[in-house]
This record gives sequence, C-alpha cells and structure tokens, in this order.
Amino acid sequence: MAIIIDDKIETIVQGITGKNAALHTKFMLAYGTKIVGGVTPGKAGQTVEGVPVYDTVRDCLTEHPKAQVSSIWVPPRFAQDAILEAIDAGIKRIIVITERIPVHDMLYARHKAKERSVMIIGGNTPGIISPGKALVGMLPKIAFEPGRIGTVARSGAVTYYIANSLNLAGLGESTSVGLGGDPILGANFEDVLGLFERDTETDAVVMAGEIGGVYEELAAPFIKQMSKPVIAYITGKAAPQGKRLGHAGAIIEGSMGTAANKIDALEKNGAIIAQTLSEIPELVKKSIGR
Amino acid sequence: MRLYEYEAKRLFARHGVPVPPGVVVEADTYEELDKVTYPVVIKAQAFVGGRGKAGLVQFASNREEAEGKIAQMLGKKHSTHTINRVLVEKKMEMKNEFYLAAMVDRLEHRYMMMSSRQGGVEIEQVAQAKPNAILKYHFNVGDIMPSFAARNIAAELGFHGQLLNDGTEIVERLYRLFTGYDCKVCEINPLVVTSDDRLFALDAKVDLDEDAMFRHAQLREMGITARHEVGELTEREKMAKKAGIPYVDLDGDIGVFPGGAGFGIAAIDLIKHYGGEPANFMDSGGAPTQEKLRSMLGLLLDNPRVKAIFGARFGGISRCDDWAKAVVQYVIENRPRKPMIMRMAGNMEQEGRKIIEEAKREHPEFFKKIKVYAYDMPIEDVIRETIRAAQAEHSEQ
Repeated sequence: MAIIIDDKIETIVQGITGKNAALHTKFMLAYGTKIVGGVTPGKAGQTVEGVPVYDTVRDCLTEHPKAQVSSIWVPPRFAQDAILEAIDAGIKRIIVITERIPVHDMLYARHKAKERSVMIIGGNTPGIISPGKALVGMLPKIAFEPGRIGTVARSGAVTYYIANSLNLAGLGESTSVGLGGDPILGANFEDVLGLFERDTETDAVVMAGEIGGVYEELAAPFIKQMSKPVIAYITGKAAPQGKRLGHAGAIIEGSMGTAANKIDALEKNGAIIAQTLSEIPELVKKSIGR
Repeated sequence: MRLYEYEAKRLFARHGVPVPPGVVVEADTYEELDKVTYPVVIKAQAFVGGRGKAGLVQFASNREEAEGKIAQMLGKKHSTHTINRVLVEKKMEMKNEFYLAAMVDRLEHRYMMMSSRQGGVEIEQVAQAKPNAILKYHFNVGDIMPSFAARNIAAELGFHGQLLNDGTEIVERLYRLFTGYDCKVCEINPLVVTSDDRLFALDAKVDLDEDAMFRHAQLREMGITARHEVGELTEREKMAKKAGIPYVDLDGDIGVFPGGAGFGIAAIDLIKHYGGEPANFMDSGGAPTQEKLRSMLGLLLDNPRVKAIFGARFGGISRCDDWAKAVVQYVIENRPRKPMIMRMAGNMEQEGRKIIEEAKREHPEFFKKIKVYAYDMPIEDVIRETIRAAQAEHSEQ
C-alpha cells in the first residue's frame, strides 16, 4: 500500500521544462513513476523525456483524467498560482518542490487547498518515495530500500541519513516523506503520521524535526493516540538564537521553535526520543519487538 | 527581516499611520537637528532589546544637549550592533499607552490582529501575567478586513468620539500595510494618546518576509533591501553571503562542511554531543557547483580558529565525483595543513573515490591529514574522529 504515492498513481509535473524538473523527470521515470504529462505555459506540443507538455493543468487533465498527483517545480513567485491551478483542475495531492515561497502566498494556497480537501506537501520538500514503487521529487533512490518503517522529516539530507541507517540495520522504508523546509507548510507531521497510522504496510514511524516553528509540538497530542510507535529525532539543540540556518523556516524566534520545547512536548506524549542518528535503528527495532 | 524603527516609521507615515515628527541623524548629518521641535527623544537605531535600560534612549531639551548625547551614542557597540544612526523625535506628552499589532498566526495559519490596553511593555510579559488583557481577532488569508471589525477593535481599546474614528483608521491602515507589504509582523507598541487626544505610533516594529521582497519596488526605493534578520554579519558571514552560501559563525574549532541545511543543523548537534565544538553552520544547497564547494572550504580553512574539518556529502541530487573534484582541486591549489575528515556516499561514489585515490598517489604530501570515508563508515564515527583530530592539533601547538 504505502502512503500518498504507490506504483499505480499517475502524476504530472508543473514547470517540467525547467532544468531541474527535466532532469528529475528522467530520474522519476527511471524509478518507475508514471508521469503522464507536464505543464509549462507556452510550451504545449513539446516533450520532455517523452512526456507530453501542455500549456495548462486543465488541458493536461483533459488528456490524462486519471492523474491525481502533481509535483511543482516553478520559481517561487509563480508557486502560489501553480498550486491554485492544480487545485482548480482537480488534482488531489500536490507536492511542492519550490523553495522560499512567500509566506502570504503559501498561507492563501493552503487555505484554498483545505477548502477543497487537497493535500499539499511542502514547499521546499525533497519529495516522497515509496521504495520500489514510486518517487515524486528529487530524493536519491540510492538512499532508500523497501521495508516497513515510515519516515517523515523536514530536511532532505537528514531523511537520507535516517534511511541509510535503517537500511544498514536491515529495516527499510514503506514511504519516506519530506515535509519541507519552508516556514509555512501544507501537510504537517500530524497529517502524515495519520496516514502512516492507517497504512497496513507500516509498523513504526521515524519523524525528524528541526528548530523553528511549532509543527513538531502540534503533532505531539496525536502521537499519544497512535497505536504505532513513533521515534523522534530533533535537530538544532546547539543552534544559536535568531539566526536562520539555511532553511527559511529554521530559526529560533524568542522562545518559539527551540529543540528543547519540541523534545519536551514529544516525549511527554509518548514519542521515543533519539539523541543521535545512530540510535535510531536500535530504537525502532526495540519498539516493534525485533 | 526586521526593519529599523526609523524605516518602519517612514513606512507607517507613508500609509497614514501617524508617527511623531522626527529626523534621522548620522555622524555627518547633525544639521538635521535644526528641523525638530524640542524637547526631543533620541533613540539609537539598533536591534537591541531593552534599549532604555542600555542607555540607547535619551532625552534632550535643546540642540546642544542633543548633539552631545548623539555624539556619545554614535559608533558605540552593543553586542554585535554598531550604532550608526539615531532617530530624533519630538517628545510627546501622553496620557495612555496601548498595544496594536497585525501578524501571521502560525498556529492557525490565519492573519491575526492583537490589541491590548496594556501597552508600552513587552507583550510577552502581558501574555504571561494577564492573558485576558490581550484580545485576538483572526481573519482568513485573502479576506479583506471589514471596517466594522476595525471599529470593534478600536472600541475594545476604550476609544470614544473622535478617538474611536481615528483609532479605527489606524487599525485598518495597519492591516492593509501588513498584507500589502508581505509582513510577518507589524506592531505598534506603544500606540499613545497624547494630552491633546491624538494618536501616535511611538514605536514601530515591522518584520518583512524577505522571500517576497521581489514584488515591493517601493521598499527598494526607500533603501530597504534584503538583510540578515538579527544583528550584523561577521566578516566571514559577509564573505559567505557574497558567495551565496548560507553561513553562520559559531565559537568552536571544528569546521563543518556539510551537504544540505538540515544535515548542517544535525552536524553541529552531533559534534557537541560527542564533546566537540563546531566553528560554523553552513549549507551547500542541493547541487553546489565545484566553485561554490571550493569557496566553502576556503571559508573554513582560512579561519584561524578552525583546527579540523568535518565533511559530509550524500550524493543524491548532487554527484560525489563533482564533490571529489572540488576537494582535490582546493587541496592541490591551497595545500591546507589542517586535518579534513570526511565521508562521501551515494550518487557516483565510485567515480569520486577514484579521483581522490589518484590525487593521493600524485601528491601524497598534501593529503597526509585528509581522509575520505565511504558508505559503510557510520557518519557519527567520522564526527568522533574529527573531534580527536582537532584535539591533536591543539596539543601539537
């Protein structure tokens, strides 16, 4: 089963003619993801890696009505419009690779998505992979192997190291989800944890958070209700105040966003806290009795 | 991206939020002091909390006194901030102080107006001591604020008569400014009622979304461009910024040469966890060019405090062979003497390994202290070895 994407879904790529999007279209196709169409206004009739390009999402869906998932690779100033266009055309899951989308733009897009029950992942997500089934985004396939552990993280590279350590310990992933590094995100930890809780192919979840914002704290009460174990790894314990650490969202503002707050909230609600990356596989094994 | 108070007040004035009449004075613009009405308040323009206690807000009753006090303030350093300019304003006779702000509520993902009759103190303090003294009003993103909602806010602040109408206008204008300029926060604290029953924003805090600066030509015209959030940059941070590298100086001796931002944050934690002290945070971005990778190494190796480098590359979007080429070229050109303990895994790992081995054979003397581990070496063992290498460097000196 896996979550969000599997080997049956049909996807489209918005901004497909961009350099990065075109390259990763090639990688996604090679992984087996079904990409049925791409969209770049003004470039209808072209193809990218054999994928037909359309001017609008609506045109694309007229030809490929089964497409449910779109990944968005357009520059940040066009991201809000691309998301709204996908929602309007009837796409149900939108994976936003674009980073540093203006805060107000993302808030509005998020609001519209909620109204239509559309799931947004990102912005600034490295994507989603259900190992052996499908990949949407730019996660490196080499870091992932099929298995029964779900992962959800704000950072791409941390996701790779976590999956890497799970693989070395013989575990592997059901699905790995990058939530994204932007300050305003579509789906949050709670949304993705909910999907893993219901997924019959997931036994436990590793969540990795980082300083900034309150998404980790917000997920804590939900973890308490979950039947599956959640292993949490929070980075930024040694981070300085008030400095943005690379990701637009990774900044401690006042007392909000500290690693200590997040760890405290998660631990109180039953999450198993990993202090280091290397502890994660052992904690996972212990939690599922292996 | 915080604005200085004088910038925020210029923005307020431009959009009809009344501010006290005042001028900005720098070291070579004392003649501005002829344009103000005395007595005045002199406020240092710096992002320092508690300016009053730090002596960064002063009063003067005439030009001579003002000049003396300004001369003392300018050029002074407060933590990392140098005071380069002061805002000199007519001192207002006030009866009451209020709080009013428009902001993004990141919990609700909506816009929020916050108001309180307890103005003039840190709102966080009010929130702790008397949470009921703060009123919050939420608005859906994309909705306009109806006038009646602004009127309700003004009425709940206790305004009557002409003050109610004036207050309503300020609420509406602040909200328009907040949405119109992509602000994260627009705060007036205090909003004061003067002895002649007029409203003024005595202080102004505006936090802009720097990712939306591209659509605000007016701000650029006012000289407001993207800048660091807090404080001033160190020399190395400035160099990094020029090279397009997110970089933050820390106090330790282990240079961190990571891949992406998320792992950069994890790396500084792990170094501390194992008893080391990181010298920096850095982010290479998704697929850095070889030139960028070399500038990253230069930033670390030119720093005299750095005793050893921890490097990590998980080739996903990026390629290990590109990374290896950049490292080899940097080492051959600059012959660093500091230990560099690194791990390279993922995309094009074998090709990368060949490049490193070849360079080692050709220039063994340059690579004596350089190690590049592979996929099977746990990343945390690499960190521990770097910490030991840094300690060894200290004892050698």
